[in-house]
Amino acid sequence: MTRRAEAGLIVAAALLAAIGVAIVEFTHGNWLDAQVSVTFLVFTASFGGVHLAMIRWAPGGSSLLVPTAAFLTAIGFIEIYRLDAHAAALQRWSLLVAALIAVSVLWGIRNTGVAVFRRYRYVMLTVAVGLLLLPLLPDSWPIHGATVNGSRLWVRIDIPGTTRVLSFQPGELAKILITIFLASYLSERAEAMAAVSRKIGSLKLPEPRHLGPVLIAAGAAFLVLTYQRDLGASLLLFGIFIGMLYIATGRSFYVITGAVLAAVAGGAAFLVFDHVQRRIEAWLDPFGHYSDAGYQTVQGLFAMGSGALTGSGIGLGRPDLIPAATTDFIFAAVAEEMGLAGSVAVLAGFALLIAAGFGIAIRSRDRFRKYLAGGLTVVIGLQAFIILGGVLRLLPITGLTLPFMSFGGSSLLANMVIIALLARVSHEERL
Amino acid sequence: MNVSLRRAAYAILGAFVLLAGSVAYIQAVNGPDLRDDPRNPRVVAWRTGRQRGPIVSSDGTTLASSRPSPDDPTLYERIYPEGDLYAHTVGFTSVLYGSRGIERTRSDDLVSNRDSTISGVLNGLLGGDTKPRGIRLTIDHALQTAAAEALGTQKGSVVAIDPGTGAILAIVSYPRFDPNDLIGPDAGAAGTALESDAGEPLRDRSIDQTYAPGSVFKVVTTASGLDTGIVSPSSEFPDPISLELPGSESTISNYNGKVCDSGTSVTLEFAFIRSCNTVFGQLGMDLGGNQLGENSDAFGFNATVPYEFNVLKSFFPPRGTIENDPPATAQSAIGQRDVRATPLLMALVASAVANNGTVRTPYVVDEVFTSEGTIESAAAPSVWRRAMSPASASVLTDLMEQVVISGTGRKAAVPGIRIAGKTGTAQVTDKAPHAWFIGFGPVDAGPDIPQIAIAVVVESGGDFGESATGGSVAAPIAQQVLAAFFGV
Repeated sequence: MTRRAEAGLIVAAALLAAIGVAIVEFTHGNWLDAQVSVTFLVFTASFGGVHLAMIRWAPGGSSLLVPTAAFLTAIGFIEIYRLDAHAAALQRWSLLVAALIAVSVLWGIRNTGVAVFRRYRYVMLTVAVGLLLLPLLPDSWPIHGATVNGSRLWVRIDIPGTTRVLSFQPGELAKILITIFLASYLSERAEAMAAVSRKIGSLKLPEPRHLGPVLIAAGAAFLVLTYQRDLGASLLLFGIFIGMLYIATGRSFYVITGAVLAAVAGGAAFLVFDHVQRRIEAWLDPFGHYSDAGYQTVQGLFAMGSGALTGSGIGLGRPDLIPAATTDFIFAAVAEEMGLAGSVAVLAGFALLIAAGFGIAIRSRDRFRKYLAGGLTVVIGLQAFIILGGVLRLLPITGLTLPFMSFGGSSLLANMVIIALLARVSHEERL
Repeated sequence: MNVSLRRAAYAILGAFVLLAGSVAYIQAVNGPDLRDDPRNPRVVAWRTGRQRGPIVSSDGTTLASSRPSPDDPTLYERIYPEGDLYAHTVGFTSVLYGSRGIERTRSDDLVSNRDSTISGVLNGLLGGDTKPRGIRLTIDHALQTAAAEALGTQKGSVVAIDPGTGAILAIVSYPRFDPNDLIGPDAGAAGTALESDAGEPLRDRSIDQTYAPGSVFKVVTTASGLDTGIVSPSSEFPDPISLELPGSESTISNYNGKVCDSGTSVTLEFAFIRSCNTVFGQLGMDLGGNQLGENSDAFGFNATVPYEFNVLKSFFPPRGTIENDPPATAQSAIGQRDVRATPLLMALVASAVANNGTVRTPYVVDEVFTSEGTIESAAAPSVWRRAMSPASASVLTDLMEQVVISGTGRKAAVPGIRIAGKTGTAQVTDKAPHAWFIGFGPVDAGPDIPQIAIAVVVESGGDFGESATGGSVAAPIAQQVLAAFFGV
């Protein structure tokens, strides 16, 4: 695909967002509104900006990434706008900032490439752990954690002299830093970790001391689960560790051990934590828990079912009845108003992004870049799967944002940075 | 290394195939079930959030209107400025409790046609009016207010009708509820409280509750006697202290336990004015259960009243069931035993006397008007049934006027207006009696003179309890409403 086609697709995605906004306004009885042109300009400027930065500093980068991200962001944005115009205005600012940061990342590593991160891997690990612990800061501090819907994932910074606060989810950024760290760490240790010390049947066991990283992963994930009371974030964190260990070593031993540990930890969590227990019960029988733990899931199912094949039409459904429709359940909102056609298009968009990401990893000649691209793709794919699986009842529901589509600046920023990094990795293969 | 990357890619893409299969199942296969699930609030919510047309009384008082929601300016919220006064008739549209009243029966007119159907969209594109329609009721706000004030906090109902057209002029039931409570943020708690309230405030007693009519049923019995020609006002009846019922131990006695007149004989007219049970029990037995049943049915007993809402059927024992049971016939003839009537039907009985024996179809929606105020459709008054001959109606009018002038209904009299009426004190097992009054005025109405027919029932004696009678409890309520109607 040429750069010209890429630019055309980016404009098409910006038009899609603008038309969506126009439709929402029309269903409210308004004709063309300033919101339509503002949306078009913000999308064009944001994704066009990343596109221009790629031409300048990563000209060999894959041209699938930015248009696909733009498409997913546009679909999500239409529903956010339809549900909460105020949130949509914030989301536009977030998009501009996220694009600016993505451009800055491309500029920052224009001479050194992604290899520069290897030098700072322990700094990154330290920062990541610090970020993960940040929400535990007591409420009375100027920078403090905040509990939202029972999970302590948020950090709020009081802006001095005002009542305004800046909120962000440090976990979104931490997952990128952890992925970079693991890619770097594993690119040096993977061979040792893959070494076979003995076999049980066809299962090849590595030396016992290499179990260390797996246990650390499990421990960190369980810590997040315990202190932040969030199943989704811990599952994602654990999945990234195990996924990258497998990619680097090719040993299914790590996956199996990981699955066993996850099962044990999950079983323990089920027995110890009431909120986990309620989630599981509501997952198995949401209609039986309609009035409490199953309410959100059932409202999501009602929304998707009411959407049927072609949807109610943008602005004509009632996704506002779903709790957390702009964040965790944005997919149900899309499915209601755009129907099966829309929801399958979204899944195809993610599949395209994931396939492109793994393609970049497979084509990479350098171990670090290979693990980095693979790991970042796992981050997007796994996060999308965990929350979509929850909405679609393949998994218990956990609070995670849907990459690019959910309302939330931290999430958008992190995923735009991932796109920039993948673009840079794919560029470096063509140098 | 690339092998493990490929496998990871297949695993995640495979997971997405599962997601696609799952969403296809939910949306395509399971979709209709989920959409129609009774717990899915969409159908009602779709309507509640949109702009709805106004509902106004006949004099233009706003009874329901839509205003932009303060929380979300793209949505509307419904307000009922008159609170509980029109609760049962106007009704409500609630996400939690569905819809009732005019809000339910006329919802197709009241919602915007902007986006509901393809034809609605085409109509809008072609410049047609897609704004919601408004509904004008036949109810008069001043009369409705007077009726609610007169009934006060006594359980029961007041129904007022224009006998010449069938238009409902006032219709009040107590206990009531405030529909605003069922659409607000505390709707859940309010609805639960209403549903468990022993006073059944959600029930419209005017149409959804039957009561033993007691002596007001003597209007029907008298009409039966007059129509069949077996009696006239001057017909003489025996005047015992109590009426022996053949083949049974029980007797029928008068309200005060005394003879009706002198103890020898009494005219039908005198007995009607004093509401003597002994005479009408005898008249019932003279007519027989089947004949009395025929005439009851002519007034609309055992029939479904064609109305805006479902009306409970009023009951008179079916043919053959009491024909050979004189005690049952005698008790039925004075509106006791198994006879039951809704307040609306008794108002129609009064309207039949006022309207030369003809019952008009009752209606409460006068007009459907567009957002620009032009009338799109108007009610077409029609005849529901002939209850009796014009001659019988004329005789009954005289009898009923005497009731208000010198009989049990004196407290319904309105100075300067000729009022006709009949009281009733219906005995109920283990409870204080129901107090009834039905009537109409003015008696001398020529063409173009507005008339009103009314039924009042106060459940279990109201504030008077055991000592309540139709004349002491229900007649004064009717008097207040009639006075408001005539502006006296």
